[in-house]
Amino acid sequence: MSDHGCIHLNNFKAAKGIQPYKVIHSYFVTSTSTEARVRKAVSCLCHTCKTYKDRLHSCLHCIFFGCYSKGHIQEHAKTKKHFLAVDLCYGNILCFQCGDYVYDRELTAVAKSQWSQSARSLSLGEFYRAWEPTQVEADLLRKNPRRRRIVENSTIGLRGLINLGSTCFMNCIVQALIHTPLLRDYFLADRHHCPQPSRCLVCEVSHLFQEFYSGNKAPLTLHKLLHLIWTHARHLAGYEQQDAHEFFIATLDVLHRHCEAAPILVKDNPHHCNCIIDQIFTGGLQSDVVCQACNGVSTTIDPFWDISLDLGPTAGASGPDSSGPPTSLLDCLERFTRAEHLGSSAKIKCSNCQTYQESTKQLTMKQLPIVASFHLKRFEHSSIQDKKISTFIAFPEQLDMTPFMSHKRNGNNNTTIDSFPKNGEDTAFGDNRYSLFAVINHEGSLETGHYTAFIRQQRDQWFKCDDHLITRAKLKDVLTSEGYLLFYHKQILEYGKNSKV
Amino acid sequence: MKSAPHQRLVMVGDRDALKELLRLRLVECGWRDQVKIICKDLIKENGQDIAYDTLLSTVTSRARSLVPDSVKKELLQKIKNHLMAQEESLKS
Ligand SMILES: [Zn+2]
Ligand SMILES: [Zn+2]
Ligand SMILES: [Zn+2]
Ligand SMILES: [Zn+2]
Ligand SMILES: [Zn+2]
Ligand SMILES: [Zn+2]
Repeated sequence: MSDHGCIHLNNFKAAKGIQPYKVIHSYFVTSTSTEARVRKAVSCLCHTCKTYKDRLHSCLHCIFFGCYSKGHIQEHAKTKKHFLAVDLCYGNILCFQCGDYVYDRELTAVAKSQWSQSARSLSLGEFYRAWEPTQVEADLLRKNPRRRRIVENSTIGLRGLINLGSTCFMNCIVQALIHTPLLRDYFLADRHHCPQPSRCLVCEVSHLFQEFYSGNKAPLTLHKLLHLIWTHARHLAGYEQQDAHEFFIATLDVLHRHCEAAPILVKDNPHHCNCIIDQIFTGGLQSDVVCQACNGVSTTIDPFWDISLDLGPTAGASGPDSSGPPTSLLDCLERFTRAEHLGSSAKIKCSNCQTYQESTKQLTMKQLPIVASFHLKRFEHSSIQDKKISTFIAFPEQLDMTPFMSHKRNGNNNTTIDSFPKNGEDTAFGDNRYSLFAVINHEGSLETGHYTAFIRQQRDQWFKCDDHLITRAKLKDVLTSEGYLLFYHKQILEYGKNSKV
Repeated sequence: MKSAPHQRLVMVGDRDALKELLRLRLVECGWRDQVKIICKDLIKENGQDIAYDTLLSTVTSRARSLVPDSVKKELLQKIKNHLMAQEESLKS
């Protein structure tokens, strides 16, 4: 099917232009303003049978609405010889002489821009739009006609990683990153354009994605990746066992630094960077310090890439259930976002009453990242001894972060204007549900431990990655594992807010 | 008047927002891709001149049955909430 309309539509356009379509589309299809919505609500009824559904169409030649299901628009077309109509649900043109819908590039462009306008007038950001190839992409697709349809139980994207001598910490982090859905989409869509390919970690990761999805099943060696990280994060150099969490943060940092030569400042993102790493991993943590004398609140918001959660019993906290150690991720998060008394020995100068006072401090989620990474602090380092806390911490497959958001959790009196939803942010459909997609475990003792990872592939297939070995796993195995790093992916993404994702 | 609640949903933009939510859910659960594949296969079988109406009558019932219950439930709940909120605001 072409997008040059049909002879009948072209004749109509030659005589009357695109204005009739523009008017109908902006009032009765998209409704680009409040006034338009009111008119649509009142007047979009079949002129014959008064229904508001049943595939309503508008005549393109005169003012007439008719339903298609009961044949009233067809009737109108026939008696009046008005052979072009606009479908009021999707905005497509129906030509009765051709007997089908026809597509016209110019009118499609009009429709597109009006959809955007309408979404903006409703503060919805941007309506979802299916991917359309650019000219370059279309040419590439034509030149490379081989297609691969991914079926339900396909294992594409899975590859083991050779252990280079205690590099299981790196293998696990790489597995988690490779199976981060949005990161995969970014790299497989070839979005990284590089100023310095030879020394760039992003290029190396991009190359790794190609390797993982090449169809080859042989395990990979990560020499170059390791070397690049050593050069750019010197404190990690050396072949001894490293902490997977530290490695994860260092890797994000190097990737972020290599993403763009000149990072673009964006207000939306707490890290003020719109590189792919910050778009996916950065959230904003709100800290409220409340003066006990005057109730004055001082609020700061800091970016975070992950949340480190304490597993020991909380000291000094007040409240009925503050005694024992946490037993679940939700427990940990509840504690993390609880108002904490800073104690009499830690008096802070209050910016409101200008005196040194006792205060409470509370951390809450101001802005959630697309990938929420939790670090269970299982390793305790002290001057006396280093030890590992192996207590069982339950974590769910589906996690709703709403209770830990600033506007929900924060009982302070600064929840007025500031915390009201702004345009596009947390409106009626604000959705903070996450699902688990990777878990990194530390097995064994502190000295002789070994890291393995569980990763989710497709919608609900789980696999265990133990260096070069990949085996199928059950969700139950994942949820009953000890858990050291937990990775959750946001279920619902708002379109148009992050233009690059 | 029977269409009044529907008219009010359209007027305040709730209908557009709900429609968009539905569209997102259908994309997210893979429904859109499934239906796209069904359509593509039909077009391959019947040639690209297959009329929209033919396509629609063949695909509709299959496509409807593929919509996950969770999506239907969520939408129903949200529509209900919107209508109740409407009623409340009319009372006051
Ligand atoms: Zn009718
Ligand atoms: Zn007419
Ligand atoms: Zn025609
Ligand atoms: Zn690069
Ligand atoms: Zn960045
Ligand atoms: Zn004070």
